Amino acid sequence: MTTVIIRTTARILAPFIQLFGLYVIVHGPISPGGGFQGGVIVGASLILLALSYDLASAEARAGHAIRIAMDSTGSLLFAGIGLLSLLAGGVFMDYGIIPLPLPAAQVRALMILLIGMAIGVHIMALVSTLFLHMAEDHE
Amino acid sequence: MPLVERVLVLASVVLVGVVFVSFYRAVLGPTPADRIVAINVIGTKAVVIITMISFAYEQKFFIDVSLVYALIAFVTTVGLAKYLEQGTLG
Repeated sequence: MTTVIIRTTARILAPFIQLFGLYVIVHGPISPGGGFQGGVIVGASLILLALSYDLASAEARAGHAIRIAMDSTGSLLFAGIGLLSLLAGGVFMDYGIIPLPLPAAQVRALMILLIGMAIGVHIMALVSTLFLHMAEDHE
Repeated sequence: MPLVERVLVLASVVLVGVVFVSFYRAVLGPTPADRIVAINVIGTKAVVIITMISFAYEQKFFIDVSLVYALIAFVTTVGLAKYLEQGTLG
């Protein structure tokens, strides 16, 4: 267990890190960053909590089963949105062809945003799982 | 290029040179504490360099990058300090 200074700082800082990660994910299509980078930032907030408290409390907050489920859900959503255009008669990840009541350019932008969010969920679970596994093996 | 931008770019180049001095200490540093302080200094310098480059070239998105760098450097510092004190990350 670390000192109260580290614990309080991490507890206050973590929501802001997660908010910034969400900003990076959602602004992915129009600015530097995107799903992967934002996911890493949100995952880093979990790593910070695990470091400043201990591994058991991080495990209690986001358990192994939940993390694996988020990991798989992210990759499935990513592949599923790509396959959606196959169902509409186009090629893989050709979003413009998906029949929504919007111009094709807007459908493309929307689907790229959704894919970015799916990657964000996937990478967030992946990064925190990697860290927790390596830290547990090290003990 | 106006004077202010030229000064900012020149200062960035000088700071990049200073980063290599800190890097020398981080690689060779006899004690782990030396390495931690050296890596901290490199992180702080990287934030300053990215911010100055963002002003010089008027790329305001680089500010986001420097914010992320500061956050990740904070996590690194906490991790290294804990590893030094306890010998584990648990």
